[in-house]
Amino acid sequence: MYRGREGQWAFFLHRISGIAILLYLLIHVLNISAAMWGEEASKSLFAIFHIWFFRLGLLGVIGAVLYHALNGLRIILMDFTGWGVKYQRELWYGVWGLFVLFYVPALVKIVPEIVRDITGA
Amino acid sequence: MQVTLKVMRYDPNKAAKPGWVSYQVEAEPMDRVLDLLHKVKYFQDGTLAFRRSCGHGICGSDAMLINGKNQLACKALVKDLTKKAGDTITVEPLRGLPVKKDLVVDMDPFFDAYRAVKPYLINDEPPPDRERLQSPEDRARFDASTKCILCAACTTSCPVFWVNGSYIGPAAIVQAHRFIFDSRDRGARERFQALAASTGVWRCRTAYNCTEACPREIPVTQAIEEVKRAILYDKF
Repeated sequence: MYRGREGQWAFFLHRISGIAILLYLLIHVLNISAAMWGEEASKSLFAIFHIWFFRLGLLGVIGAVLYHALNGLRIILMDFTGWGVKYQRELWYGVWGLFVLFYVPALVKIVPEIVRDITGA
Repeated sequence: MQVTLKVMRYDPNKAAKPGWVSYQVEAEPMDRVLDLLHKVKYFQDGTLAFRRSCGHGICGSDAMLINGKNQLACKALVKDLTKKAGDTITVEPLRGLPVKKDLVVDMDPFFDAYRAVKPYLINDEPPPDRERLQSPEDRARFDASTKCILCAACTTSCPVFWVNGSYIGPAAIVQAHRFIFDSRDRGARERFQALAASTGVWRCRTAYNCTEACPREIPVTQAIEEVKRAILYDKF
């Protein structure tokens, strides 16, 4: 592995999260399109996505969307301002700061649901 | 002190694949990796192939992947690469260019990209009686990009270049930047043909490996972003 610094990891994560979002979107479209076969089919398919395993995936998707969106703002600043490139490292840490800020509520909401599913309580 | 120099070696006449070979070398903390390579070549194994010329960080011949980062072998010091005696320093050829033998890579694709941006002054206006004058401020505009030594450390550190060798690469863009932002030059639009192509500046995904790798401390990504904006704003 090339020993790059923050910029390299920002780029790799941006790409991986982008692919993850695309895959999620495809599954999401298939899921929604199940409505074509009526309410019953749609509801039974939706039920699958409430299994704890898929809820973990949901946490992943939220993380991917958040990172991709926030780092996207960093990229816009780098592309369109004279100073963005100079402060790219600081901007990346800012991305993570905002990421934590927005991700914690998702964890608070979803993690107890996963625990409840697994323990059956 | 003793250090282990672990070199990725490849001889197309002997083996199908490259492989690691380790050498025990006596080294001083202020020795450069180039000195260690010389010690191996002179006293242990004369078949080791690598490029070097000036040995003082200006000819750009001995860029290689040292401890996982692109550096000039003549500027990378043992004391910065090891913590104690017996530590290992790894040396590999530059990535993304075909390896010819050991640490020698085929630089032709790199220089093809260099030539594609027309790295020379273009100005068809009749020459003045004396030189084409330039203010110190105008000269300073592209000062950083004049420092390039064409060592290829930037281009071969770029993840986009590794997977898509047709990307023109940071070094060629820096060379273009040197002329696009020269107040005496009139060839920007000619250069944009290569730079705005699908293999041009828009391939840059700002991973910053080029900026980190540059042994001349050129703000490479900054230069690339400035060229991107120059192409964009030229449309309006």
